Amino acid sequence: MTILPVPTYLVPTSALDAFSGAPSGKLIAQLIRSEDDSAFDLLDTFDEDLRQRGMCLLQVGAELILWTADGAMLGQSDVGAPARFVANLPSGPVKDALGCVPALRSLVPLGQGRLSSAQLALVDDEEKTQARAKFHVLAAEVGQGVAIAQLQSLRGYDKAFEQLQNDLALAGAVPLTDAHPLKALFPDHQPYVAKPDLDLAEDATAFETANAIIGAYLPVARRNEQGVIDDIDVEYLHDYRIALRKIRSVISLFKGVYSDKQTEKLKQRFSDLMAPTGRLRDLDVYLLEREFFFDLLPESLHGGLERMFEMFAAERGQALQKLSKHLKSKGYEAEITKLIHLFDTPKKLHAGPEADAPAHDFASALIWKRYRKICKIAAGIDDQTEDEEVHELRIQCKKLRYLMEFFAPAFPKDDFKSLIKPLKKLQDNLGLFNDYSVQQESLKDFLEGLGAGDHAGNMQLAQSVGALIAVLHQRQLAERQKVVESFAAFNSPETQATFRDLFHGGEG
Amino acid sequence: MKIIACYSNKGGVGKTATAVNLSYALADAGYRTLLCDLDPQGASSFYFRVKPSKKLTETKFFDDVERFTKSIRGSDYDNLDILPANMTFRDFDVFLSRMKNSRSRLKKALKSVKSDYDVILLDCPPNISTLSENVFSAADGIVVPVIPTTLSQRTFQQLEEFFRENGLPPKKLHAFFSMTQGVKSLHGQTMDEMRKEHKKRFLETQIAFASDVERMGVHRAPVVATAPRSAVAVAYRQLHDEVMERLNKA
Repeated sequence: MTILPVPTYLVPTSALDAFSGAPSGKLIAQLIRSEDDSAFDLLDTFDEDLRQRGMCLLQVGAELILWTADGAMLGQSDVGAPARFVANLPSGPVKDALGCVPALRSLVPLGQGRLSSAQLALVDDEEKTQARAKFHVLAAEVGQGVAIAQLQSLRGYDKAFEQLQNDLALAGAVPLTDAHPLKALFPDHQPYVAKPDLDLAEDATAFETANAIIGAYLPVARRNEQGVIDDIDVEYLHDYRIALRKIRSVISLFKGVYSDKQTEKLKQRFSDLMAPTGRLRDLDVYLLEREFFFDLLPESLHGGLERMFEMFAAERGQALQKLSKHLKSKGYEAEITKLIHLFDTPKKLHAGPEADAPAHDFASALIWKRYRKICKIAAGIDDQTEDEEVHELRIQCKKLRYLMEFFAPAFPKDDFKSLIKPLKKLQDNLGLFNDYSVQQESLKDFLEGLGAGDHAGNMQLAQSVGALIAVLHQRQLAERQKVVESFAAFNSPETQATFRDLFHGGEG
Repeated sequence: MKIIACYSNKGGVGKTATAVNLSYALADAGYRTLLCDLDPQGASSFYFRVKPSKKLTETKFFDDVERFTKSIRGSDYDNLDILPANMTFRDFDVFLSRMKNSRSRLKKALKSVKSDYDVILLDCPPNISTLSENVFSAADGIVVPVIPTTLSQRTFQQLEEFFRENGLPPKKLHAFFSMTQGVKSLHGQTMDEMRKEHKKRFLETQIAFASDVERMGVHRAPVVATAPRSAVAVAYRQLHDEVMERLNKA
């Protein structure tokens, strides 16, 4: 028998039994269900990276089963503990196929159930199998199950295979790439979306837009709380902070949409939410840079780095505990619930003078102003300019990016894309410049914060950290050199024209 | 790609059972295998429940690549396809040479339908004909079941003579004792004699007479698949190992 590549299907389990013994054209359907039945976890990253790629991953005991988007089924049976980070899996076909999973993301069980198997054969009057399907039958604890069907065509029996495909289609089978078991098995499951789509009317006002964005990002922050507390991976806190940062930038960038008093109050409340997260995020970032730092220094200086990272790791433990306690506190719960309520029913929000402006016009003015400001700063930057100016350019670019992303639905998609792409490149350059600068600062702070105690240990630390600062300084200078060029690449004549057309009525 | 012929110039020696079980063992070991049922009296297609196709009797059949690939049937087992019986094989040598030539249209066509084979096993008719001659020269090895009786001794000698007369290398012959019965002392005697007389021609493996093999007609499936732990199944697997070891050395 030759197995030809065919799509994998998802079939409601209820349809399976109907096949047993049923005639199918000139053939008879024979269904054999296996007695074995074992517990499975449906694994994915929190943001369902695999589902979005059309992949489905199960862990059954020490075994991983992966259905890829092109219909292949891969297995790897030496996975002891529950699979978490792909990098930590033993080598094998499933690990290889999971290379697409972002390195910082952990796999998590999004649902549980029982797995069994069944085999369907269409046989002729000689009991020769002419077409076959293998089913992985997934049953959730409640509700109905689904089966993942792997069809097998046998050479020379094309008609029987067509018959099998028809039978399955009639039973409600859909290609696995179009329907994921997650949805079928756990209908109440709400997928996590880091960047929610805003459903805004074309003639929405600036006030409505601001409320909608904040109202959409508050739940995003909330969805990440448990992952932070459980310390699953660092992306939960990162996403939590991004959601809050976006909210804060709406409040500060949408000038005049809320009354001054309201703006101040909101700024304060969201700043208070953000504040307790800072230290843990800083430590996460340091720890992520571990390998990078070790690569920058010769081995003779690794001892001090080792020491420093041990201290970071210890402090991280404390910072996590502190933040978890905060996120679980009644005070936090009350505050965030109140905020969600406030933006769900925005009647209590005090509108400002720009509140009723149409979002499109309001956005155009803001974006144009920001763009002009960026051009002005960039014009003054050369090799001799103070670092502060470069930092300012970075901050303005970030604000521009946020504004453009917030108002993207109000503008033509393709034009927007043509602007965002070069802007991203410029931001990458400015971002690295900033990272190197921030790293130097925090390393200096770290040195200053060392106690007077262990003199020899501190000497070792100071040597390593001092060398690191020197290397990072060189890197920062190198990025600094690129800024003028990056900006010129971003602000091409095409970019200038598109900005003018989109946000300033085509006038310069 | 290897071509293995299952051949005996004497009937009723377990040739078809060998072809059926050897092809299954090959497929099970991971070789993409095509079993060609060339014996009009044989029943290897029957054992795999594959119905002969009426369309396949045209003489120019093997010229027609598409029709050839279309007549192949998948067995119920992974890696194993069947070319059913009921054909005339005037151009079979052409077919074989095309299978060996990697640039031939046939080979490309098989590749294109993802049924490029690692091993082609031929269940041959039990006479020495033009077809057999062509098969002998094209095949990498000829597996010959021999019942250890005086009559079989003579037929095997005839086969070796035929090889020498026609300039075919006798090295290609891989005989083994089939349907042996431990209680018959004559069997033991004959086997000793033949091993001495035809040094290196005989494999170590013996396939004993077994009711499991007889029941294959009832199960209509290879005994290696239906009774994998039976002594005879183990013996067929050993036969597979030995044949492949010899062919890979050659």
